[in-house]
Amino acid sequence: MDFTANYDMFLTEEHEMLRQTVRQFAEREVQPFIRDWDREGAKDESDMAHVRPVLKRMGELGLLGICIPERYGGAGMDYLSLAIVCEELERIDTFLRVVISVHTGLNSLAIFQWGSDEQKQKYLVPQAQGVKLAGYCLTEPNAGTDVAGMQSTARREGDYYILNGEKTWISLADVADHFLVVAYTDRSKERRGMTAFIVERTFEGVETHAIHGKLGVRAGNTGSVVFNNVRVPVANRLGEEGEGFKIAMSALDNGRYTVAAGATGLIQAALEASIRYAKERETFGQPIAQHQLVKRMVSHMVRKLDTSRLLVYRAGWMKNQGRRNSRETTLAKWHATVSSFEAADDAIQVHGAYGFSDEYPVERMLRNARGAVIYEGTRELQELLQADFAFGFRENNLLRRELPAYDPAEWSE
Amino acid sequence: MHAVVFIKQVPQQNSVKITPDKQIDASGIEPIISLFDEYAIEEALLQVEKNGGKVTVVTIGGEEQIDALRKALAMGADQAILVNDPALRNIGSLGAAKVGAAVVRKLGDVDVVFCGKQSTDDETAVFGPAVARYLDMPVLSYVYKVHELDPGAKRVVVDRAMETTTETVEATLPAVLTTVKDLNQPRYPSLLKIKKAQKADIPRWTAADLGLNTAELAPKVTYLDRVPPPPRPKGSMIDGGSAQEKARKLVDVLVNAQVI
Ligand SMILES: Cc1cc2nc3c(=O)[nH]c(=O)nc-3n(C[C@H](O)[C@H](O)[C@H](O)COP(=O)(O)OP(=O)(O)OC[C@H]3O[C@@H](n4cnc5c(N)ncnc54)[C@H](O)[C@@H]3O)c2cc1C
Repeated sequence: MDFTANYDMFLTEEHEMLRQTVRQFAEREVQPFIRDWDREGAKDESDMAHVRPVLKRMGELGLLGICIPERYGGAGMDYLSLAIVCEELERIDTFLRVVISVHTGLNSLAIFQWGSDEQKQKYLVPQAQGVKLAGYCLTEPNAGTDVAGMQSTARREGDYYILNGEKTWISLADVADHFLVVAYTDRSKERRGMTAFIVERTFEGVETHAIHGKLGVRAGNTGSVVFNNVRVPVANRLGEEGEGFKIAMSALDNGRYTVAAGATGLIQAALEASIRYAKERETFGQPIAQHQLVKRMVSHMVRKLDTSRLLVYRAGWMKNQGRRNSRETTLAKWHATVSSFEAADDAIQVHGAYGFSDEYPVERMLRNARGAVIYEGTRELQELLQADFAFGFRENNLLRRELPAYDPAEWSE
Repeated sequence: MHAVVFIKQVPQQNSVKITPDKQIDASGIEPIISLFDEYAIEEALLQVEKNGGKVTVVTIGGEEQIDALRKALAMGADQAILVNDPALRNIGSLGAAKVGAAVVRKLGDVDVVFCGKQSTDDETAVFGPAVARYLDMPVLSYVYKVHELDPGAKRVVVDRAMETTTETVEATLPAVLTTVKDLNQPRYPSLLKIKKAQKADIPRWTAADLGLNTAELAPKVTYLDRVPPPPRPKGSMIDGGSAQEKARKLVDVLVNAQVI
């Protein structure tokens, strides 16, 4: 069955051809190796040699700049295309989608939204072309959900800011060339005292370390980024002084969208694996697909898949229109990630003991799905946000600069 | 140079149904470009990248074939033509080859024609050689390596892969080349070209446009029966405590089945 059929209210033939292309890439160039890469990544001494070549291929194919206008080096496709790329990549493995989340969703789109023309030329263009890789540094050892608890500081000195601090749990820490970093320029102003910067790995005083022993996303790189008296040119300040918190949150509106779309792809993978297995495995003289309680697990996966996809595409449609979408995006992120973990869990159950071994992909799906319930806003944070939107304590407020609406003609120039 | 590629869309899997009037019913099965045709597209693109010029992809069939043409455009073909005429619905491989030859004639300045060695649905392997015959061009079938294709010197040198042997052959251009698997690595559609391909204007040609008398295209072969491919046999699990034990049992199974 084609689980992506009948979304014509959102999708076009162009999206379908994109989906086939990304699927072919992931199935041909990643799927045959992913179990080994995942095993390899679990080793402390792993050199993760597979990461750069795969990212290079993603760049060559144009996936890293999928929804960036052609004049900035991107493919000039829309925000729904971004979702499709994420779905198809995470259908094979989460580490591929994480790259899109941080490189494209959190970093590149933030520069597209907030950056000056010079910043777009200098940083967005090579990132969209996939020549340079980008990460997003918000979390610190003592500040995750509570962003205001961060300790990093940037002190102005002439034409530079002196950046100090430690960021941790940063995806692509050891790989990215550019980081979007948020730090306090005036701690007394709390959230309004934070500022965002574009920092290059080659700036003196930038150091990175890998994190080992992760439950999931083992094929991908996660680590700490330490800034030790790093001199960041004023020209690398993204937005105004004091706008850092708003920029970080608006970036999350795009990052969470990619996480939600990826989780949808993972649900589909769990469902497809379960269908395949349940038709082949027999107990009590018939395929387990004929047992009611197995059917229930599969039907629940279908429900989670379609509801997640609809929520994601609604958010993507709103982005295309240029509408504020924090509420819709966080709802999609919350629902899709929680659902993806449940779907992977049921997929293991369908596979019985074989699901408990890495002979089948479903245990990897479970480990990978777990992270998305934590990063880019924990499940609990999303719950609080939804309640606050419902009560009217929070609104989709307008920003000084909005994410540009999709314009097919202008984006293809 | 001008390279023409004939491609065809086929059902992705073989789980087709046979209708009472012995036609193939592939409804619900995803259509894809026939395997060998993808290599033909790629080789045409590679040769044109080397020599300059253009690639034209052509399909004979209904509107549903348009997706295959758009994919070829997204891979880099310069133009696409759909020969779509209700009178050409049921013409068999030889009839299709007559249409193909008429297309090449109408295009005029063609240096080389590529197509897959056979389609993965009908598997007649007639189309390419028959196009060559109708155009009175040399045919180089089962091409698995193109050493040289020089439109200036009107010369082509290729390796042909047969069952057990290969041969290197030379012919004059224009010629028809039919391609086998692994001749090259077909590229993915480019994202920039995907957008352009969706907007590309694809002309529809009819039998009349090609000056064809459709009465002469009636199939010369009639299907008396068609047996659908058997369902894929079930696999069986080999249990065992260790890898060695499982391997030993597997060897026993294979020896008993006289596979080894
Ligand atoms: C694989 C992976 C990749 C990551 N990549 C990045 C990255 O690229 N860039 C980056 O900046 N960060 C990244 N992170 C970090 C991630 O965003 C944080 O882990 C996340 O924001 C949660 O922060 P924390 O871990 O400090 O948990 P905490 O904030 O300490 O939360 C601990 C628990 O308390 C709950 N909690 C906290 N506050 C409240 C509250 N007010 N009400 C109710 N419950 C609450 C949380 O929901 C959670 O269950 C990544 C994390 C992982 C696991």
